[in-house]
Amino acid sequence: MGEKEKIIEQALSEGRNTLSEYESKRLLHAYDIPVTNEVLVRGYDDFKGAIQKVGFPLVIKACAPDLAHKTEQGLVRVDIRNEEEAQQAYEEIMLKVQGSGGGILVQEMVKGHRELMVGMTRDAQFGPCVMFGLGGIFTEILKDVVFRVAPIERKDALEMTREIKAHKILGEVRGMPPADIDELVRILINVGQMGLDHEPIKEVDINPLILSGSKPIAADALVVLAPPT
Amino acid sequence: MPEAKLLENLKYLFNPRTVAVIGASDNPNKLGAHVMKSLTQGGFEGRILPVNPSAKTIMGIEAMGSVLDSSIPIDLAVVVVPAQFVPAVFEQCVSKNVRGIVLITAGFKEIDDPQGAKLQEKVRRLATKAAIPVIGPNTFGMINLNRNLNASFTPQFSLLQKGKLTLVSQSGGMSHLLAFMAMKQEVGFSKVVGLGNRLNVDFPDMVSYLMEDPDTEVIMLYLEGLDQPRRLLEAASRGRGKKPIIAYKTGRAESGDRASLSHTGSLAGNHDIYRGGFRQAGILCLDSSEALLDTARAMLMCPPPKGRKVAILSGQAGPAMAAGDFCEANGLEIAAFDSGTQKVINELLPPLALRTNPVDLGPAWYDARAIAGIVGAVMEDKNVDAILLLMMFASANRGAIASVSDLALRWKQQKPLITCLAAPQGIWEKQVKELEQSGALTNLPTPERAAQALVNLWEYRKIMEK
Repeated sequence: MGEKEKIIEQALSEGRNTLSEYESKRLLHAYDIPVTNEVLVRGYDDFKGAIQKVGFPLVIKACAPDLAHKTEQGLVRVDIRNEEEAQQAYEEIMLKVQGSGGGILVQEMVKGHRELMVGMTRDAQFGPCVMFGLGGIFTEILKDVVFRVAPIERKDALEMTREIKAHKILGEVRGMPPADIDELVRILINVGQMGLDHEPIKEVDINPLILSGSKPIAADALVVLAPPT
Repeated sequence: MPEAKLLENLKYLFNPRTVAVIGASDNPNKLGAHVMKSLTQGGFEGRILPVNPSAKTIMGIEAMGSVLDSSIPIDLAVVVVPAQFVPAVFEQCVSKNVRGIVLITAGFKEIDDPQGAKLQEKVRRLATKAAIPVIGPNTFGMINLNRNLNASFTPQFSLLQKGKLTLVSQSGGMSHLLAFMAMKQEVGFSKVVGLGNRLNVDFPDMVSYLMEDPDTEVIMLYLEGLDQPRRLLEAASRGRGKKPIIAYKTGRAESGDRASLSHTGSLAGNHDIYRGGFRQAGILCLDSSEALLDTARAMLMCPPPKGRKVAILSGQAGPAMAAGDFCEANGLEIAAFDSGTQKVINELLPPLALRTNPVDLGPAWYDARAIAGIVGAVMEDKNVDAILLLMMFASANRGAIASVSDLALRWKQQKPLITCLAAPQGIWEKQVKELEQSGALTNLPTPERAAQALVNLWEYRKIMEK
């Protein structure tokens, strides 16, 4: 069994229908999709080491399966700049997640003003489909998204990047460099492949996929599973 | 078998020598009478065999008790008997080696009573085992104009002109509507096919068949939802580039799974996935019945534009603005003329008019030589990929069409020429029709629709790029 299968099997054997953010990103990484540099810790000693490893500024998040919409629940602290702030964030979040079997994710703070979204959904009729759109807080408000049926080719992925209404965000705007379209294309193709490779994956959310300069990086991710019936 | 044989038999279904009408009637309160009218009045040249055990003749043609009584082979049976009699009728058709069936009868899967679905499955097995393709049930039927075959319950479908467009539709209502629109616009059709409940002939089967059908050049689909949409995508991909497929799909209100844990799942509207999937398979998605027919006409007559740069030549400023706005909002560019072209225009038009693109031909209303000179220069301009020519009739510009006719006829759309030449009834009609029929242009009723047709030609061209 490869790493990908292991991550999925582990979650299924525990009767879960989601992967944690950390697990989701391990899976994305295995599909060559760039993710944030991050360390999952269970205790304070590990935490201190993780801070050193990731470096400031950083993000501290609760990390457990079945934890969606973390921001709304106050389980995310961003732009932490020193040990004092880190310790405070650690204690506050630890209080909320104690007993849930989760941990704390220490994550590099990705700098970038442009938030995109990439996803996969297993449609009842079409099977695995790939989504691309505007991410972050605008996802649900603007619903600026396009779909293709997996597998997708380079041409399809390119069209997707041009088809969203806000496609100009991928260009050179307000002093920001144009997005690395080749990298975006690769991510879109690979997320479709995830759906084709693994029947138990029902949905994948990469949201936000932040443009750090020109490079897209998965800053948050969620993989939803549907146990084989 | 059975799929290849089934497709093979579709040829007989659409091009029969002998048609039996099972449930034929003289009583105008029965569909069987309307189907008989369609066949007899539509000019079908093969044999028509009315089947009705309790009548001697129907519409003057000798009737028989069952298809088994026929001494000659039967290629197509049109079935209009009540649903409960359909299994027995199908068994007789199987024994008689009928090649294809149009099952007009309703009361199958579409009804609330689960018995309907059961009955449908029963007759599906009978037909599919014998490799008999069935159009329907729950359909108005189908029409193949090139064979004068009207196998529907609406005799007026035969008023359609013969042509190269084929419509395959999931809705009887939309099929009737599009046919009436086509009649008014004098647009010819090859076939109109109402798939109904799609017993064993579904959209992908029809696409595969029509790709090989010499009478069809543009395939139009109207659909609401499919059980196995990937099959249609595969069929379309196999025929990619052979013939254009354009589709109008309704049912966009259906949204994603609101209970979904992920954003992707909750945003995944069925319509958006259709749109994306169709594009991948080379099917152009359109948003109205009007656009479906306009685009089909343009695809039949116009070459695909090589680029996105359009010239707008208009007898009046307003229509040019309307067309220009539509083009620019939908991915086309207003071309910047080559300096040679601009020089010609500047010489022929006084400076009081808009002389850059869009060109206001207003001051040249009386001047046939100026209009022809400008249109000719724009046709030859390397910076122009397509032309929209707009002219609203006014008493003083009556001669405008004549001034460009010869030019357009000679030029034969080396680039797409889509027009809106609009006039009161009886004026310009004959001239425009002749130009259309000789392939010189496609004329549409409004500047926006002319622009939309051009946008769709360009979209299709982009879809086809590999």
